Amino acid sequence: MLRAALAAVSVTLAGAALAQSAAPAAGPHSGPDRETLAWLKKIEDASRRLSYTGTFVYQQGGRTETSRITRLAGADTERLEVLDGMPREIVRTRDTLRCYLPESRVVKVERRSGERSFPRLLPQQVGILTEHYDISLGERRRIGGFECQAVVLTPKDNLRYGYRLYADVNTGMLVRAMTVDAAGNMVEQFTFTGLRIGGVTQDMVKPRYAAGAWRVEDADATPASLDGWGVYPELPGFHKVLELKRRMGASRPVGQLVYSDGLAAVSVFIEPLRRGRDATPGLASLGAIHIYTREVANHRITVVGEAPAESVERIANAVEYRP
Amino acid sequence: MKEKISQLMDGELGAQDTEAALRALRGEGEAFDAWRIYHLISDAMRDTPLLSAGFAARLRERLAGEPTVLAPARRLPRPRVVWAAAASLAAVALVGWVAFAPQPEPAAPLAAAPKAAPAAVVAPQRTVPVVAVTSVLPGANDYLLAHQGFSPRVYLQGMAPYLRTVSEPVQEPAK
Repeated sequence: MLRAALAAVSVTLAGAALAQSAAPAAGPHSGPDRETLAWLKKIEDASRRLSYTGTFVYQQGGRTETSRITRLAGADTERLEVLDGMPREIVRTRDTLRCYLPESRVVKVERRSGERSFPRLLPQQVGILTEHYDISLGERRRIGGFECQAVVLTPKDNLRYGYRLYADVNTGMLVRAMTVDAAGNMVEQFTFTGLRIGGVTQDMVKPRYAAGAWRVEDADATPASLDGWGVYPELPGFHKVLELKRRMGASRPVGQLVYSDGLAAVSVFIEPLRRGRDATPGLASLGAIHIYTREVANHRITVVGEAPAESVERIANAVEYRP
Repeated sequence: MKEKISQLMDGELGAQDTEAALRALRGEGEAFDAWRIYHLISDAMRDTPLLSAGFAARLRERLAGEPTVLAPARRLPRPRVVWAAAASLAAVALVGWVAFAPQPEPAAPLAAAPKAAPAAVVAPQRTVPVVAVTSVLPGANDYLLAHQGFSPRVYLQGMAPYLRTVSEPVQEPAK
């Protein structure tokens, strides 16, 4: 009886193996087709190549916030200006990002070294991307006056979110980006309204603050080995891409490890515990971003990433110091 | 025409169509773009080394040359500062900050706490119970700003995701 059952199982397994080996022969493209990936490439190129200005609406959990984003492609400069509440702005050039906080008269500075510190999505990351997401073309729809093509990224497991990207058919400009959870519910959404492509001048990307007298907080980030610190084991699909030292806030030295699956990224921040400030384990969320804090080996670990809460928590709980 | 280019690459195009496709390629327009992008993607899918060839090695080399700063039990210079900046940033746009007790403590107040959390808080599969819910995680904007630049999403969305790092708090802390 048992033998018969085993035989049946092995026949089934052999059948499955056959089916699997036959699959590639059946269709030349088992992953996303060229046209779909070309759309993703078109979106990425447009984000760099185009000059544009528009009002950006961010929605999550019943909240809506607006800002204005302007990019001058020729100068490789972008400016984000918060329109609701406290006026704040961020200006990003090719190698430096400055965040202006007028209420505290602080400029936060993040610099990039000459080389791009992160591989571009396409073509470099396409392999890892297609390993973790099914990528397909969705519907066409008019958004904010633009005829848009949907590109749908569906995660192959529940450790990451899915995305619906809507790009202008003519230019590839991303007009809407929606993040969805495993149940298909919207986690957050970015939408351009009143988007105008072209016609951007240098004045429009200049910071509005003369921040000469403000305090400058330079992150001073440099690649560095954080000997002994790591995530053991890594969460499936999230591989370490960067390891650096930086300053946080006014001057605290902090180590940062970055893990990514090609689209989503999770940072692990490591800093010595400070007197009077605990590292009670806890989780916070902001749209698709989750933040989880805990204490490891007398250090405060803060894990930040655009991934489901469980993924961020799992990464945090896998952080270890192995001297 | 894009479809024709795709077929041309797969050798699935008839003689007449092939000629037309090749003519279109000389035009350097849409057909040429498709040809270039399709090849770029095909190379990447087959793991043909591209721009990043020397990247890992260079990074490794630089890592090796760096001294270690973070290690438990070693005393680091205490930051002289300065929660003034952090305090002003403390009002962070976080939907909820859920704190956990280090030890499981099945006491009475526990039952109510999770229900008090805003709906947007995603409950993790927790190994420790929720004991308190407050509204703000101090300094979270700093972490968001530090993280954001390394998210591949900026390559699709430009600055948009940075909006989170400067957004307005949900609840202003009492002054």
